[in-house]
Amino acid sequence: MGIFDIFKQPDAETLARRAAHDERIADIQSSLQRREVPKAIRERLEGARSGRRPWTATLTPAELLITRSHGLRPIAAISATCWLHYGWSWTEGHAEGWHTALRRLKEEAWTAGANAVLDVKMRTIPLGIDNSMDFTLSGTAVRVEGLPQSDDPIVATVPALEFVKLLEADVVPTGLAIGAYYEWLNDWLNNTNLTWMGNIESTRLSELWQHVRQRAHQELRTNARPQGNGVLAHLNFSEMFEREGQNKQKQYLARHIVVATTVDARRAAAIPHDVRMVVDMHDGRTPLVGTTPHHQSYQSNESEGAI
Amino acid sequence: MTDEIPEHARDRLKGLRSSAHSTGVFTSDFSVNEFLLVRKAGFEPIGLCVGSCVYHVGIQYRSWSKNQELDVLSKAMYHARELAMSRMRAEATAMGADGIVGVKLTIKRLEWDEHLLEFIAIGTGVVHGEGHPGFRAHDGGPFTSDLSGQDFWSLLHSGYRPVEMVMGSCVYHVAHRGILAGLGSIGQNVELENYTSAMYEAREIAIDRMQYEAEAAHAEGVVGVDIHEGSHGWQTHVIEFFAIGTAVLPLAQEIAPEAIPDPVMVLSVND
Repeated sequence: MGIFDIFKQPDAETLARRAAHDERIADIQSSLQRREVPKAIRERLEGARSGRRPWTATLTPAELLITRSHGLRPIAAISATCWLHYGWSWTEGHAEGWHTALRRLKEEAWTAGANAVLDVKMRTIPLGIDNSMDFTLSGTAVRVEGLPQSDDPIVATVPALEFVKLLEADVVPTGLAIGAYYEWLNDWLNNTNLTWMGNIESTRLSELWQHVRQRAHQELRTNARPQGNGVLAHLNFSEMFEREGQNKQKQYLARHIVVATTVDARRAAAIPHDVRMVVDMHDGRTPLVGTTPHHQSYQSNESEGAI
Repeated sequence: MTDEIPEHARDRLKGLRSSAHSTGVFTSDFSVNEFLLVRKAGFEPIGLCVGSCVYHVGIQYRSWSKNQELDVLSKAMYHARELAMSRMRAEATAMGADGIVGVKLTIKRLEWDEHLLEFIAIGTGVVHGEGHPGFRAHDGGPFTSDLSGQDFWSLLHSGYRPVEMVMGSCVYHVAHRGILAGLGSIGQNVELENYTSAMYEAREIAIDRMQYEAEAAHAEGVVGVDIHEGSHGWQTHVIEFFAIGTAVLPLAQEIAPEAIPDPVMVLSVND
């Protein structure tokens, strides 16, 4: 392509490609607004569902083995995204963003004829575009043999191996629950200024934290209740900021986000397996575990300042 | 593994909601494996317990050329952790837990003020499935432990139960070397004995304090002891030794070692 080519009329092929692109984008936007699966994706999923096109799965070969032996048939790798701008609250936008993505993921699963989605991972591209973030979920839609298709499929944010382990123990991972809470503290009386106080607890800030964390966990329970009777919260994220408001008075923002896999478990149900102690003869990290974190959307607090 | 999926699980997969959750929702930060093992050990998670404390650390005066414990800092680190832990334990007591498993204790520096440190303790409150009262700590409250679900199962199966998470802290100033001392050792490998002995003393103080706590909890021993060396943004010659572990007691009667099954050795072929 010469450098003056930009002044030429594009050829027919380029025009057709552009038109196809525009059409695709328009279809994706209007489909998502109508709460439908975009056309191109629908065709792919329906192909996989009917067996006209090959199935796809995010599973490893070992996981494939275990899912097949337990009557699960992979259909298609599916994913959903919601890119959200935080108009009014960063913290609470997280619950909204994940829930929209979750709804879209379930629609794809339905289109694929599935009744469960396994190995669901939470992803975010760290672009940091002004006050916004993408909430992306991806996983594998599966069909449990002998069961009808479900319009409210189980969404399991755990790997396939763990999904099966849970099922055997009569526990069903059901979905995703988010607890998010934030609060501002205005320090009118300058109570947080402790410069010459020696060793002393900053009770105002402690109370703020305690309150914010408790409320976030409360939200988590409320959010989990329609889905199951328990959560495995794999992610606790918190941040606090200070800023100067009017008259140099200090303001503090504390926020806490908990992301959890909801489960439905019968209390005190017996676990069918004996647990046998083994010593893995591998050096380094044992591959028996095989579990990578299923989220990378928040920098977890765990690495930072451990004890 | 068996190939059976229980009936309840199949119903659930069908999309049938077992709407009657009389027990309410439990929350926990367990991984799947931990969750299964804690249940296997006969316990049920009931709720996440959190304790927070934001602490203002006072001003510490120190002498440039002396090895010494910085008691203001030691006390601050200790007191603040104690506050966070006791709040977490109070939450567990309020929800009727028999104990807290998997306590994670973290310290964060608040960026706008070098004297402010934030302490967080989070763990999962558990109850014994059959309401056995014998797992509580010596004071009748919930036991605390930083053991993971896996470690918890293993500990019970080796005949012990956790009583209390015990800790000891010592913040220490390592003396600077004088200029003359530096000149004397040019071109030679010499041990810096005052540095070595400073490390020894500081570590010993921390372990001793932890052991003292274990005694106060009427424990027989302490498992999973970890000795951290940290410097939470203090100057170069200031270090904190922090010893932490779980104090344990034998279950009603200690299991004889030969009655504990030997672990099986495996070599997994997946990599």
